[in-house]
Amino acid sequence: MKPVFETGGKANDRRMEAIKFEKVHFSYRNGEEGSENEDVFGFDSAFALDGIDFSVQEGEFVAVLGHNGSGKSTLARLTNGLLSPKDGKITVLGMDAGAEENLFEIRKNVGIVFQNPDNQTVASIVEDDVAFGPENIGVDREEIGKRIDFALNAVGMREYRHATTTRLSGGQKQRIAIAGVLALKPRVMILDESTAMLDPRGRKEVMDVVLKLNKEENMTVLLITHFPEEALLADRAVVMNRGRIVMEGKPQDVLTREEELEKCSLTLPRPIAVCKALKVRGLEIKPSFDAETVAENIAEALKKAGAGTRSNEKMPVAKISKNETDDDGKIVAKDLSYTYNERSPFATHALKSVDLTIKTGEFFGIIGHTGSGKSTFVQHLNALIKLPTAEKKYKPKKRKKNEPAKPETILRVGGYDLGDKTTDFRALRKDVGMVFQYPEYQLFAETVFEDVAFGLKNFRSEMTEAEIASAVREAIETVGLDFEQVKNASPFELSGGQRRRVAIAGVIVTKPKILVLDEPAAGLDPLGKRDVMRLLHKLHADWCKTVIVVSHDMDEIAENCTGAAVFFDGKILACGTPKSLFSDRTIADSAGLDIPFTAKLVEKLKACGIEIDCDLTTADFLEKTAEGGRSDA
Amino acid sequence: MRDVSFGQYYPSNSFVHKCDPRTKLLFLIVYIVAVFLAKNFYALGACALVFVAIACFSGVPFKSLLRSVKGILFLLLFTAVLNLFFHSGETVLWSWKFITITKEAVYFTIFLAIRLFLLVLGSAVLTLTTTPVALTDGIESLLKPLKYIRFPVHELALIMSIALRFIPILTDETGRIINAQKARGADFETGGLIKRVKAVVPILIPLLISAFRRADELGDAMDARCYSGSKTRTKYKKLRFGWRDLLAALLLAALLAGVILLRIFTAAVI
Repeated sequence: MKPVFETGGKANDRRMEAIKFEKVHFSYRNGEEGSENEDVFGFDSAFALDGIDFSVQEGEFVAVLGHNGSGKSTLARLTNGLLSPKDGKITVLGMDAGAEENLFEIRKNVGIVFQNPDNQTVASIVEDDVAFGPENIGVDREEIGKRIDFALNAVGMREYRHATTTRLSGGQKQRIAIAGVLALKPRVMILDESTAMLDPRGRKEVMDVVLKLNKEENMTVLLITHFPEEALLADRAVVMNRGRIVMEGKPQDVLTREEELEKCSLTLPRPIAVCKALKVRGLEIKPSFDAETVAENIAEALKKAGAGTRSNEKMPVAKISKNETDDDGKIVAKDLSYTYNERSPFATHALKSVDLTIKTGEFFGIIGHTGSGKSTFVQHLNALIKLPTAEKKYKPKKRKKNEPAKPETILRVGGYDLGDKTTDFRALRKDVGMVFQYPEYQLFAETVFEDVAFGLKNFRSEMTEAEIASAVREAIETVGLDFEQVKNASPFELSGGQRRRVAIAGVIVTKPKILVLDEPAAGLDPLGKRDVMRLLHKLHADWCKTVIVVSHDMDEIAENCTGAAVFFDGKILACGTPKSLFSDRTIADSAGLDIPFTAKLVEKLKACGIEIDCDLTTADFLEKTAEGGRSDA
Repeated sequence: MRDVSFGQYYPSNSFVHKCDPRTKLLFLIVYIVAVFLAKNFYALGACALVFVAIACFSGVPFKSLLRSVKGILFLLLFTAVLNLFFHSGETVLWSWKFITITKEAVYFTIFLAIRLFLLVLGSAVLTLTTTPVALTDGIESLLKPLKYIRFPVHELALIMSIALRFIPILTDETGRIINAQKARGADFETGGLIKRVKAVVPILIPLLISAFRRADELGDAMDARCYSGSKTRTKYKKLRFGWRDLLAALLLAALLAGVILLRIFTAAVI
């Protein structure tokens, strides 16, 4: 069954070409292939490949970078025949991918792992799902058993063989998806943004497996990703922009070319950005990708050059802190507990006696792993989960004579008492806006205008049409969209980033005093992420009083928040400014979290004998480092 | 929500749990036939005896079994009352104006109640001891002969198992969407019928769109894993009959024979 290979090139020692694209053009528009992607359900669709020449050697690990819609995913789909090219030739392991009769053999040899782990699992039990591929190609029973063993071993999930797929974590699910592909014994593995929906822990799990496969099994890997850290692990990086390959080379080289990356709507990896910014401030730092080397280089540069110059360049984000004493942006929780499925064998204690105060005017971060209780806490804030004392049926229990008084649960959000059943919960929800994860999936109306107006019509039925129109316009313009352009468009015609903005507009349109966002930047490309964070700062400055962000990204927290609480196992492990939380690793380690990049630098510099006393934002770190140089000299 | 396996499967390692799902399905069918063939209390007693034996070997606490009867309690009472008053008979026990209760009616009512109980409890044992996945496998295997009349058995089974797999995911998703719209002030609890139906639209549309998106992605993922219908497909999990299934079959044969013999040689209640 082995396919015939062309030996690539003249020299014998050159490795064979696993994937080869020659002048490939592809378009979703005006073609039959595209008819299924009519954009009704909001798929990426209008993007094309515009003359791609590209090849991957067998055993090579290639990373493909590019903003959303640059054609990366199309590349993946063309490679294993899910799409076929308009023009040009694609050769996969010596076979022409355009020919119908080769499809089966190509798909057997080219495995592809998609973005959403839930949507690529066929069966409810792990082993049944892994068996799906081999069953399809007619492998006999005993061999399937062996392949399941092999595949689950390779991804480190052997003990989950009989587990239910829905109960696994995101990283585990994605590893099962990889195992499902491995069971076909492919020689090429394509990961199409397979880590985009995972938390940092899940991302690491998946990347470890991919690296191991590449190194030990000599698997050819094509990794499509947004994360520069992941691209750094590859042998070669390719950057795509508008359907063309615009950069190619060693990732360590490609990822330092700022101007070119910017043209492709990509951002520099954080360590490189710091090095460059210090250079602007007069400190010549040799660029490097890991915190340790960067810190060493900074220490060396400080000792040698001494003086740095003060720069007038403004960093994009700065902290905003309001000193307001009023109560309507304040949150007080005392002894808050919550148990899912109480009185059943599946009871889980999601919150265990949580005490937390968030002051008016804060930009507050809530961090912790999946399952640490963050989401449960946040859902209490606008009474999506009500306290038992706020239920309509609640009657105060009489205390027995000698029974000690129970500690009283208190939850006050923006002046509302959530433990009281007479509280006006509609008014509460108007004042406490809540943006859930992937909020664009909750859009439903025919036009953007209708969708944004939904909350307004629900909460403030007394408003006139004209008032509604002006409020909607204001909200849409605040999130950075052109009102006239989008108001009559269907929300499903917009791009991913735009849809997220519309969803946020639909929440802020009621002018909430407190805005809560669960992972607002998840799944966006680097530029989209930056834009969303900027939007939040804008909202914090002149729209809402308090902003609360749930996040997995410690850099995001350090960069933006005035304070944060670390959740772990249903409890709050620590609470304070990013500086107090991350100045040493004890808290982060016990919660199983990473620390921000700036904190790593500060830590390493301290080990080199240089104290930098900054608030852990990049801007402040740069400022203090440049100054530190001066005072040393 | 995600942590609760849906359906009413009771995890255990009992004799009945380990039986082949096909055996259990066939057992249930024959058991139902036997219960219907029984026409007096002796035969019904034999069925009850078999049920008690199975229940004991299933490792499912009796309380869980009884919970399944709760749902039909109203139906049971309703038919019982009707039968009690309107079943004709000769020996009048009690009469008031046009209502008479006869001895035969009392017997008949009790008989019907026991029969209904046995039917529901029997099916409950199946669903309590068999995972939905195993049940699908069993149904697929039992339907296999239909392949020869071009009935798409494999496709049907695949559809069933994918549906099962997506139930918890879509349940979760529904919860999330409801929460999101509630947070935007949607009100699902008050108002008249029309208002409530209208209120469902903001849940239904995102859910449908998401289901279509998932279906599309799943289709691609299946294609990428070489799915091409049932032609050359093999199956990893093969159901195997074991000694337990043989025992169950013997018990079943005894029950059926017993009920038929009792039907021939004893008097009927109905």
